[in-house]
Amino acid sequence: MIHVKGLIKHYGLNAVLRGIDLHVKPGEFVTLVGSNGAGKTTLLRIVATLLQPTSGHVKIGGWQLPQHASRVRQHIGLVSHQTLLYGDLTAAENLTFFARLYHLDNLQERVVQALKTVGLIARQRDAVSTFSRGMVQRLTIARATLHEPDVLLLDEPYTGLDQDAARLLDDLLRREVENGRTILMITHDLTHGLNICDRVAILNRGKIVAEIDSAQTGPAEFLELYTEHTRRKKKSKSK
Amino acid sequence: MIEQTKNSTFTIRRSTFLSSVWAIVWKDLQIEKHTRQIISVMIMFSLVTVIMFNFALEANLAAARQVATGLLWATILLAGTLGLNRSLGIERENQTIEAILMAPIERSAIYLGKVISTTLFTLILEAVLVLLFLVFFNKPFWRPQVLLILFLGTVGYIAAGVLITSMTIQTRTREVLLPVLLLPLSLPLVLPASMAVASYMFPQLPTWGEVQSMIMLIIIYDLLMLSIGFVTYHYIVES
Repeated sequence: MIHVKGLIKHYGLNAVLRGIDLHVKPGEFVTLVGSNGAGKTTLLRIVATLLQPTSGHVKIGGWQLPQHASRVRQHIGLVSHQTLLYGDLTAAENLTFFARLYHLDNLQERVVQALKTVGLIARQRDAVSTFSRGMVQRLTIARATLHEPDVLLLDEPYTGLDQDAARLLDDLLRREVENGRTILMITHDLTHGLNICDRVAILNRGKIVAEIDSAQTGPAEFLELYTEHTRRKKKSKSK
Repeated sequence: MIEQTKNSTFTIRRSTFLSSVWAIVWKDLQIEKHTRQIISVMIMFSLVTVIMFNFALEANLAAARQVATGLLWATILLAGTLGLNRSLGIERENQTIEAILMAPIERSAIYLGKVISTTLFTLILEAVLVLLFLVFFNKPFWRPQVLLILFLGTVGYIAAGVLITSMTIQTRTREVLLPVLLLPLSLPLVLPASMAVASYMFPQLPTWGEVQSMIMLIIIYDLLMLSIGFVTYHYIVES
């Protein structure tokens, strides 16, 4: 579903991505972990059609980016640590606006259904600025999945969530996986990164340095592997 | 048969384009309905400015009446920059512009939607301003020809303003940059517009031939700015 090959991104003279190869199969949940500045957000923004790469190839569902960005946009949804919602609008108005942008039919029904799915139907007429962080994040997922995208992109979705809200988000994401969505999540939270996905890729200094099957790796072993892969790169650079 | 297919594709594109424009306008109107931030700020600013002008020119009422047209346009331009900054600033909060850019809509639809909504807000301001100028300066600003010139001038000013604001909104010095860039760019519009309005301030109405060149200049400016916006907005928001 997502094919990234030889992806390079420079900001001026600064190389942020230095030859990324990543393949995500349809229905697969892949988490990309890495420390701050590893290039996670840049990679996700390129896949989300918000940034153009310096060189390399990105294909989503067979469509090449950035040439076919407008076709790809119908098939992707983005959940970011930024809410991407209007605080002055109500929950229902926010969803109605985005449903209109995606030219969806049966607007009212879809909005009500989406609000029910994320458990916010009782607050549909309240301004988003009055919501807790957890509620906002649930509404963000409703927004991102309103047009039933094939690919869901998650950028640090657990930022600022307490344990209960994080657990609710886990449940929502599991439901999205059951619905057959392909998910690419970036995070620096190793625990959440490993728990709910099929595969974890470790990004270090603009390169994927390891890919790990999460079903066959325990948290302790994963932490060890993560430390080893990120430390080794730092050491080799210092030499 | 081919003609029919072409026509139907064109109709679908046009209807999705127009529905995208309407989505942006609807959203801006809803936010303004809840917050009343843009119109109230512009009206407050204008009220203070008109009262200041009135006090400053009180000693010479004849002179005040002579420069009333210029004062009206100066107030519209300055209040307009406040409205533009706020209208585009809404998209910067919570990075909602990214969610809009990820939707499968033409960038020119975003531009046109923003021009329409900001023009509507500015026209409401102008309705209040015309009343204020009638009270303070006792000049026939209510004439339909004057209102038409105000409308045409506003379209051009906001068309240029949305372009410039979209460029400056991500910069730290946006409040300073906007008037510095926009006001000189608006000179070719404001000069014929204020001259055209001034020619309708006398009891004897001017002939069409006397104002034709000024009104044509305003229309050409409007078309030029809207065309530049349509063609370049894609590059402005994605760079």
